[in-house]
Amino acid sequence: MAKVVTIEQRILKKNTEVAAENRRHFEEQGAYVVSLASSPGSGKTSLLEVALTELRKEVAVGVIEGDVQTDNDARRIEALGIPAVQVVTNGTCHLDAQMVQGALEHVPFDKVELLFIENVGNLVCPASYDLGEHLRIVVASVTEGEDKPLKYPAMFRRSHALVLNKIDLLPYLRYDMAAARAMALRVNSNLEIFETSCLTGQGVLEFCQWVLTQMAKTTAA
Amino acid sequence: MHEASIVESLVDLVQQNLPAGGRARRIEVKIGLLTGVSPDAMRFYFEIMREDTLGAQAELDVSIEPLRAECGNCGMAHSFEEAAWLCPSCGAQALSFRNGDELQLCNIEVLDGESSND
Repeated sequence: MAKVVTIEQRILKKNTEVAAENRRHFEEQGAYVVSLASSPGSGKTSLLEVALTELRKEVAVGVIEGDVQTDNDARRIEALGIPAVQVVTNGTCHLDAQMVQGALEHVPFDKVELLFIENVGNLVCPASYDLGEHLRIVVASVTEGEDKPLKYPAMFRRSHALVLNKIDLLPYLRYDMAAARAMALRVNSNLEIFETSCLTGQGVLEFCQWVLTQMAKTTAA
Repeated sequence: MHEASIVESLVDLVQQNLPAGGRARRIEVKIGLLTGVSPDAMRFYFEIMREDTLGAQAELDVSIEPLRAECGNCGMAHSFEEAAWLCPSCGAQALSFRNGDELQLCNIEVLDGESSND
């Protein structure tokens, strides 16, 4: 005989539980955690390099880097004298809460108040996985076209801010900034939008200031 | 391709919820339109993963939930079969979604030990 057993549970329940453990850990350690997601090559690591150089003047910073292969990104961050932990996913296209949890013992939390988690370059898969972070930032470079938010709505809907990067290339591109902003806000009207160039530094200070403001709000609450 | 990871989590969750000696025959899953998860990709990975886990009798019944929204401008309620951002009635960009993020294991049809020929 067959019988139907009602379950009604979220498939990623386990991930959500581990993300909640991560969040508790961050709070115990007094760390504010920000994740970065984008397609490959949008400039997440470059943005971190320039932003961390500014942010470290105000707070102690650290990074968890997620990549399918290589520790290149962690080495770029360490070259700045900033602690970085590399998570190599070995083929998996996203970080999940458990991978982040595994990296936490390597983060020197006594020296880190603001921790960035750079996800694997991918606008689809990371959107399904809560990592326990406080703030989610999605990066899209202007060479990718204006309509990324409409093509990958899940990622843009769950993000708090959008960084439109590589704006130094605008003179060479047919890119409609107003249209890009409108499409992003259509998917998520609460998105904060920043325009940056990691080459000229344009917009980076404004972005850093906003991150610090969000951090202060959470820490004060 | 995170459907592979999602199916892995699904198989774990099914195994945890199977009564002792029971085998899963039909697994009902609902997916929200805003998750970006592909039912076809889930079925593909499920067929590969069931062999060494739930057994070949296990079938995945995965369906997409219609997206329900209400317009904050004109107050109309709508149901969508694909993601939409503007109100079809008044054109305003003021939809508030009632669902869309589901990634839910609803129920499992379980065969007990003796009825393996069902």
